[in-house]
Amino acid sequence: MSFDERVLIEHVMRQRWYGAKSRGVAHAQLLDSVVVSNAEPQLALALVEMRYDTGAHDLYQLLYALRGDELDIDDDVGLARELVRALRAGATLPGVEGTVEFHSVAGFAGLDRDPAEVRWIGAEQSNTSVVLDEDSILKVFRRLEPGVNPELEVLGFLTEHGFANSPALGGWYAYTGGLFVATLGILQTFVRDGLDGWELALDEIAAAPDRFLSRLHRLGEVTGEMHNVLASDASDPAFAVETPSVETLGLLTATVDEEVERAFLELSDDDEALAPIAGRGEDVREQLRLLSHGGPAGKVIRTHGDYHLGQTMWAGDDWVILDFEGEPLRTFAERRRKRSPLRDVAGMLRSFAYAASAASFLPGAESAEEWEARARGQFLDGYFGTVDPSLLPTGSAAAERLLSVFELEKAVYELRYELDNRPDWVRIPVAGILRLMEQPAAAP
Amino acid sequence: MPHRWFEREPLWFKRAVFYEIHIRGFFDGNADGAGDFRGLIEKLDYLQWLGVDCVWLLPMYPSPLRDGGYDISDFLSIHQDYGTVADFTEFVEQAHQRGIRVIADLVMNHTSSEHPWFQESRANRNGPKADWYVWSDTDEPYRDARVIFVDSEPSNWSFDAVRGQYYWHRFFHHQPDLNYENPEVQEAMLDVLRFWLDLGIDGFRLDAVPYLYEEDGSNCENLPRTHEYLKRVRAEVDAHYPDRVLLAEANQWPEDVVAYLGDAESGDECHMAFHFPLMPRMFVAVRREDAAPLYEILERTPAIPENAQWGLFLRNHDELTLEMVTDEERDYMYDEYAKDPRMRINLGIRRRLAPLLDNGRDEIELMHAILFSLPGSPVLYYGDEIGMGDNVYLGDRDGVRTPMQWTSDRNGGFSHADWAQLYLQPLMDPVYGYQAVNVEAQLRTPTSLLRWIARFIALRKEHPVFGLGSYEPLRSDNSRIFAHIRRWEEDVILCVHNVARSAQAVQLDLSAHAGMVPEEMFGRTRFPAVGELPYLLTLAPRGFFWFQLRRADP
Repeated sequence: MSFDERVLIEHVMRQRWYGAKSRGVAHAQLLDSVVVSNAEPQLALALVEMRYDTGAHDLYQLLYALRGDELDIDDDVGLARELVRALRAGATLPGVEGTVEFHSVAGFAGLDRDPAEVRWIGAEQSNTSVVLDEDSILKVFRRLEPGVNPELEVLGFLTEHGFANSPALGGWYAYTGGLFVATLGILQTFVRDGLDGWELALDEIAAAPDRFLSRLHRLGEVTGEMHNVLASDASDPAFAVETPSVETLGLLTATVDEEVERAFLELSDDDEALAPIAGRGEDVREQLRLLSHGGPAGKVIRTHGDYHLGQTMWAGDDWVILDFEGEPLRTFAERRRKRSPLRDVAGMLRSFAYAASAASFLPGAESAEEWEARARGQFLDGYFGTVDPSLLPTGSAAAERLLSVFELEKAVYELRYELDNRPDWVRIPVAGILRLMEQPAAAP
Repeated sequence: MPHRWFEREPLWFKRAVFYEIHIRGFFDGNADGAGDFRGLIEKLDYLQWLGVDCVWLLPMYPSPLRDGGYDISDFLSIHQDYGTVADFTEFVEQAHQRGIRVIADLVMNHTSSEHPWFQESRANRNGPKADWYVWSDTDEPYRDARVIFVDSEPSNWSFDAVRGQYYWHRFFHHQPDLNYENPEVQEAMLDVLRFWLDLGIDGFRLDAVPYLYEEDGSNCENLPRTHEYLKRVRAEVDAHYPDRVLLAEANQWPEDVVAYLGDAESGDECHMAFHFPLMPRMFVAVRREDAAPLYEILERTPAIPENAQWGLFLRNHDELTLEMVTDEERDYMYDEYAKDPRMRINLGIRRRLAPLLDNGRDEIELMHAILFSLPGSPVLYYGDEIGMGDNVYLGDRDGVRTPMQWTSDRNGGFSHADWAQLYLQPLMDPVYGYQAVNVEAQLRTPTSLLRWIARFIALRKEHPVFGLGSYEPLRSDNSRIFAHIRRWEEDVILCVHNVARSAQAVQLDLSAHAGMVPEEMFGRTRFPAVGELPYLLTLAPRGFFWFQLRRADP
């Protein structure tokens, strides 16, 4: 099988999961391909390198069907079935340069039969997914990084250690070749009839704000429980709780400070949404310095890594936490880094600010700000009541200061993202940064 | 089985930033007064934050430490002060997980006189190891070989009373040279390499490679058979250990060093070699306020194979070596940089970067800018990123090997041991002492040298052109300006450096780039487009600009 380079480049660049839309592509190269089914049509997966004109490159996984001479580089239902079959069989399929190995987790319910119903669902930033019989879901990673995908590690760990509020890991397939090793796809439980946490927030804030607040209290508890489980196995070096080295807080602060400086450097002077923070970059950095004069930073553990309402589902009677991949634009090395669990908490709190801003409140009811304050209170109450306090900095004041550092990091990231992508949303991170600047930062 | 966290990338070293670590001096993980592998693991987050791609470890093997560990008494183990082989493999795995590779020093030329091989060789003239070292009844052979450690060694031969013969040593008398004429020695050294490669190490910095073989009538350096053996080592690595790197320490002129990179087409010897003569000329250039020495040495630097790379550095664990300069240049360097005779050792200056530059922040930044702009991979020396000082009152080269200064706490945050237990006391003087110069304080200070260097490393790594691109000197009428163009694929970078203490203006002929818009790379400020006329730039004292030349927006 050979590809026309132009066809390949154009196809990959059209995809939602293609991450480098603004970069000039110099070359595309087929690195390896593995035939999954040799019947007509031939079904296969391909590993492709996209090389940019600055010399950097990325790796992608393509799925394709070959009907006679006609190449169909699209998500194919038949191909999904074949991948599941290979998972069930624990197959090892040869490519040219390496092999693809399929693994299943013993006892996983979705793998006891060929799926009757298969449907591809919407693409995400770096992957596409296919739902099987409405009870399991195969996530196919499209942009690849060498090494073990954190989602495989974390989901496997949570499944093994009995965390009830995440999907169970059912299997995975991975490439091992001379060029690299990479996780290609993960099978897990599909949350049937789950309501996306973000959608639920928007619905219930308008219709039943108090009910949603009690759900957030529960989400705080589930989050605390998730961190307790992630911190529960000292024998696994990838998950063992660690005491951060003395400069951990300094490294974090320096990183956030650089991001603040860069973000404010790029701010335009005449954007009205930016007016409340315009010219106040130095104040933000000063506040950051005050916040980071804390005591010991607690412990560092493996975390969710990209935690917000959109990564949760309300599944009838409780929350389910999804998507343990971490932030897709960061390297595996960064995503796998152990961090304070408060970084996840900060991500979720920022998500409440977005929900408050996007939802419509009943006339005469509380304001968005008031709702956000109550949402934070509920969530944090549930969280601090559940999480093992030894994972956090000693004392609530120290914990809150560290939490604020992470919130600031997140809000500054949002500011740059929204300026580039959704200028109408800029006021949300602006309000968040303003709130963090106005709160007292000095140690009591 | 250790995971593989890297994509296959045989040329990774061409884009890497290296960081040289003295294990003893980095961080003490077990409170015994000396740094160790457990301590190194604790500091990996720092190295990841700094942006280091590859750590180079000074010798880590058992040794009587009469030459900073370059006197190895067991090639297949770890010095007890540093931990165990298991600690080492854990360190490598942890580093790999953070995207950091690890290479280590290896001395092929000689062993410690305490190595069991030498003990066996001296004890029995007819034993199996009798021929593993270079023995002679007289001290006559190889007369034309110079003595390297002129301050301490009168001759390359020393008499061994046990065996009743002279033995050959190019360095200290307690470091007998191995006899590479002997096929068993050749094999034994390959076994040493395999042992560490199997444990996951990413390569070696091969110490003192020019001296493996001796021949009468030659200066016993860079002999053809030495190259033959190194080619054999490379073939072994290529065949069984992909993506590893051999970095040659050959303190020679570039035209001789190039031979260590092998065939001009296939590059079949070492992957990298240090560019020694460049470094003193950088110091000469800023002191004389004249860019000519830089243009000249780069002009004199021959092309290297496509798959090879220069290792570039400002300072390292040894003296600032002045072997590769003329006598006149050496006198100049001594006068300017080592007024106190205590600062001199052998043919060099034993000082760290910051004191050499009188702690001038502009000078330190300028030197890094020039270093980072040149074709090659920069090698940073631990502590120089915070501007650590030296202690010229310590013996040998210990003055530049004092403990890393992490905090302003006890022992500079280097160790929880008692002050008196430390292998060397950290610096305490008011300018460079750990109270004034430490990682913790500089992390907190946005304008610190450390923060600047981290930002600079990040910038360099965004542009593979610095590791992979061509170098085109750009001469001008102003002799105080060092300017050049780097180009790789579509990325074109213009680097302009002012080596003078005063502000300078320069007119550069950029007509080949007419229509392009220079964008300053730190602040992303756009400068006026390049036209057909000379391009005028003004630079602050010791200032520099790096521009990306971009096509004008349509």
